[in-house]
Amino acid sequence: MARAFRRKGGRLVGSFDAEEISVVTHVLRLTRDFVAPERPDSGDPFLDLVAGLGDEVDPTEPSDPALARLLPPASRDDDEQAVEFRRLTEHGLRQRKAATLATAIAALEAAEAPRVELDLDQARALAVALTDARLILGERLGLRTDEDSERLHEELEQALAGEVELDPALAQKMAYYDFLSWMQESVTLGLMAR
Amino acid sequence: MAVLDRPEADVPWITLVWNDPVNLMNYVTWVFQTHFGYSRAKAEKLMMDVHTEGRAVVSTGTREKMEADTEAMHGYGLWATFQKDD
Repeated sequence: MARAFRRKGGRLVGSFDAEEISVVTHVLRLTRDFVAPERPDSGDPFLDLVAGLGDEVDPTEPSDPALARLLPPASRDDDEQAVEFRRLTEHGLRQRKAATLATAIAALEAAEAPRVELDLDQARALAVALTDARLILGERLGLRTDEDSERLHEELEQALAGEVELDPALAQKMAYYDFLSWMQESVTLGLMAR
Repeated sequence: MAVLDRPEADVPWITLVWNDPVNLMNYVTWVFQTHFGYSRAKAEKLMMDVHTEGRAVVSTGTREKMEADTEAMHGYGLWATFQKDD
């Protein structure tokens, strides 16, 4: 049974089952693979710079709605501005998201269940990484409005109480979403604590 | 007293953050405090504006600064846009 993160000086300490840690790590790895740039870096900054020069980022909005939500247009009414912004920023944004996710994954992999202890950089990375994972899951669950979000939570509560039957695959997505939300709330409150 | 037209370069730009059903209220508050250095009270007020009004102006300044703020918000998973303040 998980216990929320608590601030202890410059660290956050929480308690999670090995299975809970492994599920979260798995979801974060999927998220990193989903959002990482399509042209991976070679590790050589000079080669990457040269490679980047002739390689235009596709400036159109991603067709997958979850990827479009992670890399949203920077204008809702000026397409030209949105395209230009995407051309200039998308590759770097995807690199930074992948790096943040990698930091969070490494921190969870290093944990010895049930104790998860994070320094503040790792905690910040986990809070941001969980956001990206939840944005993808939320899109797959059809969350478009605050009301959708409330309805989802009620359905899950009813399913857990045995009052309604849910499709098992949907129920699992909802349970993951709910757990990731709880974990993110806990790590965020830990970061905000003085 | 003469009324001068403001030159184009002085027209401020703004960064807007839009409401979404996924981002948690505490997380949005933390992002505003962390990135902009706003007080807890100011960050919470902006977060509530986003939540209840559907969007809020989170920063004002040069176009370059607003582009950087928008990119940073996208890094945090918040949906931001920037535009001229008119």
